[in-house]
Amino acid sequence: MKSEIRTIVVEAAIVAIVGAGLALAANELSPRGLTLSRDYFPKGTNAIPAAAKPVQVADSPAATNESSEADQLSGRLRDKGLQEVKRSQVDVFFHDPRAQDGRIVFVDARDEDHYQEGHIPGAYELDPYHPEKKLETVLPLCEAAEEVVVYCTGGDCEDSDTAALLLRDAGVPGRKLFVYGGGFEDWEANHLPVETGARNSGVLNSTHP
Amino acid sequence: MTSEPSTRPRTALEAAAVLARWALGALFIYMGLKKALHPEEFLKLTRQYEMVHSPFLLNSIAAGLPWFEAFCGALLLTGIAVRGTALTLVGVLVPFTWLVWRRALALQTLRAIPFCAVKFDCGCGAGEVFICHKLAENSILILVSCWLLSGAGRRWCARHAIFSRRNGD
Repeated sequence: MKSEIRTIVVEAAIVAIVGAGLALAANELSPRGLTLSRDYFPKGTNAIPAAAKPVQVADSPAATNESSEADQLSGRLRDKGLQEVKRSQVDVFFHDPRAQDGRIVFVDARDEDHYQEGHIPGAYELDPYHPEKKLETVLPLCEAAEEVVVYCTGGDCEDSDTAALLLRDAGVPGRKLFVYGGGFEDWEANHLPVETGARNSGVLNSTHP
Repeated sequence: MTSEPSTRPRTALEAAAVLARWALGALFIYMGLKKALHPEEFLKLTRQYEMVHSPFLLNSIAAGLPWFEAFCGALLLTGIAVRGTALTLVGVLVPFTWLVWRRALALQTLRAIPFCAVKFDCGCGAGEVFICHKLAENSILILVSCWLLSGAGRRWCARHAIFSRRNGD
């Protein structure tokens, strides 16, 4: 009985060791594998850029009573030294003529599938987990822009923070960077225009009821 | 050719154990590969448990665990090192269930809702689930693993035990 238990434990140890080795090898071989040495969730700094003017505009009188979730979001961005921007201001940026000539840039920090399903019209795709795909294109545009609005799904999603920090670390001044905390869910919920497929595909979905 | 009446229940039980082994193996392969195809999503979900603070360790867990699950599933499905694999799965499932339970308690406090109304994506590969369903499901998986650990499900195994001289020993 005792030797049987020992045999099973040894067998389990072999399974665990071989399994762990093969699992890490599979991750290395997989084109979607994670880079083990990379910090995917940089904390940033808690210094809001001195030249930046905080853009926190309430959307409605009811919104002045911020929920605890909104407080958490604001606190999270503040801790990372990022500026939050509310939907009403994003809407102003979207309709600003500067958005047409690249002085205001929108960056979608979700993955390619979600981007293709729908994004803010004219937004550039930048998946912060696979920045090698798009950073080369997006970075010069963000450097040249006067304002950059980064968003992801919204709510608990921190991919916009990660993408904003990635851009900041790559040289985009922090004062230009704004994180749209409400994200794409908030944009869609307010029946604002949505573009599907590639950037400037011209396929616009109106979500008006 | 026909089984003795006294051996029929045992045969039925053994057949059920083999089916349970196959089902458990297939489930782990499916869940593992589903997560392995979207490792960054699993990484984000793993992070919510605040198990480790080192990015390297967190990445290693998120990168390795899905493939490890698929590996264990393949062993169960083919019937290789079944008892050792079952013990390994118990060793993975028990602490994971404890982490899920702890996370659900934190969410319950945060949202001020009944425990069974807590719904979140625990990183199990099935999306958002109600916590009580998840705990029940994990309990069943642990019980099935313990059953296999006890020696059930030996039939149709490529090599039930690594160190046995004969298959099925």
